[in-house]
Amino acid sequence: MSSSPVAGPAATGPSSGPDTGPAGRPAPDRPRGPGRHGRRVRPVSAGARRGPRRKAARYWPQYLAISPYYLLFSVFMLFPVLYTVYLAFQKWDGIGDMQFVGFQQFRFLWDDPVFWLSVRNTLVIWVLSTVPMLLLALVLAVLVNSTKRLTAFYRIALFIPSITSLVAIAIFFGAVFSNNFGLINAILKSVHLSAVPWMSNEWTIKLVIAALMTWQWTGYNAIIYLAGLQAIPSEIYEAAKMDGAGPARILVSITIPMLRPIILFTVVISTVTGLQSFTEPQVLFGSEASTNPNSGGPGQAGLTTLLYFYHQAFDNNDFGYGAAIVWAFFLLILLIVTINWRLVQRKERRP
Amino acid sequence: MDLSRRRFLQAAVLTAAAAGATAACGGGAETSGGKDKDLTLWYWSGGLSDKVVADARKHFSSDISLKTSMVGGDFKTKLLTGLRAAQSAPDITGIKGEDIASFLPNADRFIDLKTVGADKLVPQYLSWKLKQATSQDGKLIGFPIDIGPCAMYYREDLFAKAGLPTDPAEVSSQLSTWDDYFQAGVELHKALPKTFLINNIGAVFSMIIGQGTQRFIDEDNKFIGDQDHIRAAWTTSVKPYTLGIDAKINDNTWNAAVSGGTLGTELGAAWHALDITNAAPGTKGKWRVAGLPSGPSNLGGSFLALPATCGNPEEAFKIISWILSPENQARGFTDAALFPTAPAAYKLPALTGGDPFFGGQKTIEIFGPAAEKIPSVYEAPADAAVSAPFFSELTSVEAKGKDPDAAWKDAVSQAKQIAQRQGVK
Repeated sequence: MSSSPVAGPAATGPSSGPDTGPAGRPAPDRPRGPGRHGRRVRPVSAGARRGPRRKAARYWPQYLAISPYYLLFSVFMLFPVLYTVYLAFQKWDGIGDMQFVGFQQFRFLWDDPVFWLSVRNTLVIWVLSTVPMLLLALVLAVLVNSTKRLTAFYRIALFIPSITSLVAIAIFFGAVFSNNFGLINAILKSVHLSAVPWMSNEWTIKLVIAALMTWQWTGYNAIIYLAGLQAIPSEIYEAAKMDGAGPARILVSITIPMLRPIILFTVVISTVTGLQSFTEPQVLFGSEASTNPNSGGPGQAGLTTLLYFYHQAFDNNDFGYGAAIVWAFFLLILLIVTINWRLVQRKERRP
Repeated sequence: MDLSRRRFLQAAVLTAAAAGATAACGGGAETSGGKDKDLTLWYWSGGLSDKVVADARKHFSSDISLKTSMVGGDFKTKLLTGLRAAQSAPDITGIKGEDIASFLPNADRFIDLKTVGADKLVPQYLSWKLKQATSQDGKLIGFPIDIGPCAMYYREDLFAKAGLPTDPAEVSSQLSTWDDYFQAGVELHKALPKTFLINNIGAVFSMIIGQGTQRFIDEDNKFIGDQDHIRAAWTTSVKPYTLGIDAKINDNTWNAAVSGGTLGTELGAAWHALDITNAAPGTKGKWRVAGLPSGPSNLGGSFLALPATCGNPEEAFKIISWILSPENQARGFTDAALFPTAPAAYKLPALTGGDPFFGGQKTIEIFGPAAEKIPSVYEAPADAAVSAPFFSELTSVEAKGKDPDAAWKDAVSQAKQIAQRQGVK
């Protein structure tokens, strides 16, 4: 919005800096320039004393223009986040009186086998989904990048799963993998293989959830990789081809090293989102049941940490314990993101 | 251009301010003198008969303008949020049966209905159901909309093929204990290998708990989930699993199982008839209803309550008692499968007719007597939370083949932990 540094001096030429007097004065041939703005500018030295505050006052329309986001963010994100810190030290049923309990909720957490089970489930589902997802996304991006036809179609096709309703996908996957009447088992039976109890075995439950997440987010990551691929100068590829490198060699020696910052980004993002799986198991395993809702399916194999949090807070009305769960889990996510970051960064420093 | 930008911003600020002011004014306009003429009613889709609610609006229109909101999603969470601010709280609200116990410790957030006229009506309604909405110091915070008296639904055609009794009266008398019922299941499964007796053992467990006079926590707020009555319920529930007559359905394949004849019987509340009808319309006429083995049990059934901030409690309770009068409850049964809480309604034509889905059987002959014989039981606020591990471990037995005794030990130790967290002794 404040256009003087770009439009003003560069076009008029002679002036020495963006904030000096003459450049700001409205020139007769450019009536739409930063005119009003110019009247108020002072030499840099004069304004330096009360600089920041004056600037804030001067740019109020700009601050006002970006304020809605920050207002919404504070009310709907920042305040609730800070409030959960407070809640984690209370015992509260949602409407009654709060009772300060110190670190008791965290002590309960430490001794709660179901919490640790949920953390294990979450990590297993995350590994099962993220690793194939990112590998597949990279391969898809390279393939789409090398095609000349229908590129728009491929890009849209890759992007659609990520904007599809998660609940709809979960219901669909539930039907496809259903034990007795699912599509997959029907196919298995038709080729005389025995049906797999997808939705009741401890491991296949995780596999189904991971498959769902992979299906939804592979295309999204492929699009990001594709953008990264297009930023790699084609000269490098041409040079590599001249030197006799095959497609596999090019992928390993050029594409992946050049994409490293993008890969780092996708790893961090998919760690953060992949560890927060909630809707998938919630929809797959009867959240509507009046007895024992949101339990994560047979053997609690699909009980992710966020689902456990939801169950404690909103089914059991134990909001303090719920807050303790999410904060403990936040620390865990932070730890894993840091480890990932270090892993990918270290590789970058090696050459 | 410059000026118009400034004007644009000014306009934007003004619009935002105006919107804020209107929103702020919206809430508290009509509360004058404690006698509110505008009352709001919150319920969920299917929670009340929409026709009865529409008639209530007309019936009271001279004194009261009744505004109804069908609240979707997680009703309890929205109600909890609404109750925290007087402006956003409804004047009349539904409370689901599984949530009522958790509201009892905060009974002061609601109006004691006995103070606004419920005391005279109490004898007409089922006492065990009223007890669910009565706090330990005797306040009645909810008036019962419906109940879920449980019965055993069975496939008459499959029973006939297996050589079992088919007449509801005979089935009720011959399969009167859990062991008789499981024995019949073994015969059924032997004759029809694709057919199982029950969908999962958690269903049996919840029925047996409902038949008892004690649950997981007693009146003194002590954990009793490790005692004999729960252990016996557990042992009985595991039997169909060991006998191989358990279909082990814990996912979304129940619909297909019901319509495909995988399930020979279903244990469920009166409203469960609607689930079966919807899931398996092709089995019309093949189902019958018999008494639940070992006596009646209840599953679900909601309430109407008045939050303490209600603008006009006397009129609001008049609306409640009108909507829940025996005659209107009978309409609710026809309209939304809400089983009446006033036994007087059981004699009305809406309930005494035969149901074609059950081959013309008069199902009230099973549900009516069951409803009046359901045991009265204390359900603690933390009861649902504490019982959850038992159900989870039963699914572990079914899904992973976990040893039932090991599962019992794990369930008890987890339940004890939850009890501790919830402040149960």
